[in-house]
Amino acid sequence: MDFSLSEEQEMFGNYVRKYLADKGETKIAREFIKGNTEHYQSIFSGLVELGCTAINVPEEHGGMGLGALDLVPVLEEMGRNVLPGLYVETNAFAVPILEKFGTEEQKQKYLPGIAEGSQTFSIAWLEPGGSYKPSDIRMTAKIEGEDILLNGTKSLVPDARLASSLIVPVRTAGEEGKTGISLVILDLSDQTQLRGQKNIDESRHLAELTLEDIRIDKGQLLGPLHQGWEVLEEGLLAANAALVSIMVGGMDKVVEMAAEYAKIRVQFGQPIGRFQAIKHRIADMKVELETARSLAYYANWALETEAEDRVQAIFSARLFAAEAFNRAAGHNVQIHGGIGFTEEIDCHLFVKRARFYENYLGSSYDYYQKAASALGW
Amino acid sequence: MDFSFTKKEEAFREELRTWLETHLPAGWLEGNRQLPEDLNEYSAFLRNWQRKLYEGGWAAIAWPEKYGGRNATLMEEIIYQQEMVRVKAPPLVNYVGIHMVAPTLMQIGTEAQKEAYIHKILTGEEVWCQGYSEPNAGSDLTAIQTTAIKDGDKWVINGQKVWTSFGHLADRCFLLARTSKGEKKHKGITVFLLDMDQPGVETRPIIQMDGKHDFNEVYLTDAIAYDADIVGEVDEGWRVMIALLMHERTGIGGQVFTLEQQFADLVVLTKELQEDGRPLLKQPFVRKTMVDLYARTRGSLLNYYRNLTKTLKNGQPGAEGSMDKLIVSELTKDLFAQSISMQGHRGLLWQEDAIYGDSYWQENYLYSFGMTIGGGTSEVQRNTIAERILGLPKDMGR
Ligand SMILES: Cc1cc2nc3c(=O)[nH]c(=O)nc-3n(C[C@H](O)[C@H](O)[C@H](O)COP(=O)(O)OP(=O)(O)OC[C@H]3O[C@@H](n4cnc5c(N)ncnc54)[C@H](O)[C@@H]3O)c2cc1C
Ligand SMILES: Cc1cc2nc3c(=O)[nH]c(=O)nc-3n(C[C@H](O)[C@H](O)[C@H](O)COP(=O)(O)OP(=O)(O)OC[C@H]3O[C@@H](n4cnc5c(N)ncnc54)[C@H](O)[C@@H]3O)c2cc1C
Repeated sequence: MDFSLSEEQEMFGNYVRKYLADKGETKIAREFIKGNTEHYQSIFSGLVELGCTAINVPEEHGGMGLGALDLVPVLEEMGRNVLPGLYVETNAFAVPILEKFGTEEQKQKYLPGIAEGSQTFSIAWLEPGGSYKPSDIRMTAKIEGEDILLNGTKSLVPDARLASSLIVPVRTAGEEGKTGISLVILDLSDQTQLRGQKNIDESRHLAELTLEDIRIDKGQLLGPLHQGWEVLEEGLLAANAALVSIMVGGMDKVVEMAAEYAKIRVQFGQPIGRFQAIKHRIADMKVELETARSLAYYANWALETEAEDRVQAIFSARLFAAEAFNRAAGHNVQIHGGIGFTEEIDCHLFVKRARFYENYLGSSYDYYQKAASALGW
Repeated sequence: MDFSFTKKEEAFREELRTWLETHLPAGWLEGNRQLPEDLNEYSAFLRNWQRKLYEGGWAAIAWPEKYGGRNATLMEEIIYQQEMVRVKAPPLVNYVGIHMVAPTLMQIGTEAQKEAYIHKILTGEEVWCQGYSEPNAGSDLTAIQTTAIKDGDKWVINGQKVWTSFGHLADRCFLLARTSKGEKKHKGITVFLLDMDQPGVETRPIIQMDGKHDFNEVYLTDAIAYDADIVGEVDEGWRVMIALLMHERTGIGGQVFTLEQQFADLVVLTKELQEDGRPLLKQPFVRKTMVDLYARTRGSLLNYYRNLTKTLKNGQPGAEGSMDKLIVSELTKDLFAQSISMQGHRGLLWQEDAIYGDSYWQENYLYSFGMTIGGGTSEVQRNTIAERILGLPKDMGR
């Protein structure tokens, strides 16, 4: 029995922590919010140098060939700093499905780039007014000879400006069901039509993407034709396991902020951390944090070892973490009092990011049903 | 990260399983698990069970071999708890003796004390209770008022203990009494090994809110103990208590495994309960609640394993045990509340009128309220977490 990260994993996490601390922690997100994307890109280059983007890329494609658990410490550090960017989407979504479903050409084309940081992915799933359900995939893809012709609009596409490519569920047949949905990889160019959408979490950018008669090569089809939904679902397991660890990182920082502030803020002649209204709330936040962390470790272990209970483990962990993160981030504002309500202090960054994840890549409602089904209920 | 058990550990599990199959009371594995109502029969039943455990070498596996234990590893203790929970084994009547008194005596007891008590604890010949709490001292044990006054080689003890579990069955008591009033409140407390069978000790039953009688008031009126009954030094009982905590290396393992099983039972219940001809478990609202409980149940087990890993590495348990205690006791309460609430108004029916499982849900529901109080209340656990793990300032008055 050993339920802990390995020394190497802990050590790697520490490197990332030091690096991001050197770069000013949440200053990175704040620069990004101001519109300074170059600053973020330079930080990202540093993470690439540390090896973060190579961790789970197979060795034959220029990576380290490690697994989901090795991403955990990196994800926690990113979460602690509300880091912008597409690490989850690239390393925890695109990599595993490319590895499992990609053609040899696709692997050659994308995986080495991911490892060396020149290639990033985002996911264009939702459409205007639509949900995550298969029936709301309306963007069409017509196979014409060696081409695929794309028409339609995607909404809330995360950080498309940072992405070199998008993974896009499109309709290749049928009208409603899962069958007939395929995934395509769309390489972005400066010409791609994007309209920014303002969102409360300004450390993540969202955009609407309109495709009118866009032609891509048939080789950009990812996984089997009409069976893209299954590929997507497989990718969602890995993406969700990673999201849990990112949220754990966020919560970790929130609990730390609340506890540290409660030690130094004096009112009524006492540090407020002596008042149990504050103290016990922070203790509860800590308990939820550690529970989420245990669930996150297990979720990633289950993913990596293809454990039988991986689906319910991952989805229930995601649900627990999202709720706990939102709760803790809210409490953190409250514990900081008036200053917590300001833009100046970091509390709000976590509130917004926590809400960003709540219904990201699937609604909590859907995940409740999916977890229950996986449990055989 | 590795959840597997070694070959040796698996062999240990097999050995215990086989033993349990042949030695559990007749019909136990088949579900006939009613304990006798009558106090004397109840006591005899439990003592008999402990005697069997002793004879099989399963009563106190963590003890060193020279005292009749197996020198079990921490993992073997965990497996032992898992297996006992799995077969819903009868309670260990001498829990206090085996897990508190004897390990303490082995560490700091006199040779005479070891000689006199340890073997009888193991066999179940002498059952022990824990006499800490008093009417005015519960969470704050430094406030105890029971006094022990020296008279030659005798100590004359006066005061009242309360919530003393199994006090009515016990032969001896691990008792805290004040022997002097020092500057610091935790000074001047002494641990006595008190004989319960004497005129100065009177035990009165307390009926709990679940209708059961597990704990008692104990009145001490000129009760007598001797110098030879003191554990450690006079006035240094606090140290004995701290030392004792270090023996609790498996923490609340038993409760974690029990909770896992209770959750599985709850799933069965939500399948059996119907609404409009369909299992309740098919309702979106219930599914959400159940997935939440699933995550929390798994979370409590996994947290426990993570803390256990730390204990395995550090050799002794840390303050994280407070988190386990808080999580598991609070979750148990929520789980049983849910079970009652899902049965609708009929959920009120209990005993022979209960609609499901012999009143199992109703009894555990009522019992669960004690879990966030006994063994340190949830508020006290939160203080420990905040102070010892997060470094927040200590409570006022301490
Ligand atoms: C939108 C907004 C508008 C405002 N407008 C004005 C204004 O016009 N004029 C003005 O003068 N002020 C104004 N304020 C300030 C406001 O009155 C204070 O923020 C508030 O009184 C709390 O004080 P604090 O921010 O110093 O937090 P603190 O008092 O430092 O509190 C920090 C945390 O400790 C908790 N705490 C403090 N004492 C105790 C205790 N005894 N027991 C338990 N918990 C405790 C608090 O509940 C809080 O969670 C405004 C604040 C806001 C958010
Ligand atoms: C099932 C069961 C079995 C028991 N078995 C035994 C036994 O065998 N032997 C024995 O000696 N005792 C036993 N007890 C007693 C148990 O240890 C005490 O009930 C417990 O320590 C709480 O003490 P109290 O009941 O005096 O409550 P109090 O300490 O008076 O607490 C009352 C309330 O105040 C809160 N409170 C107290 N201090 C603080 C604080 N600093 N901050 C915030 N809140 C606080 C508590 O959390 C609680 O909610 C048992 C109790 C139960 C329920």
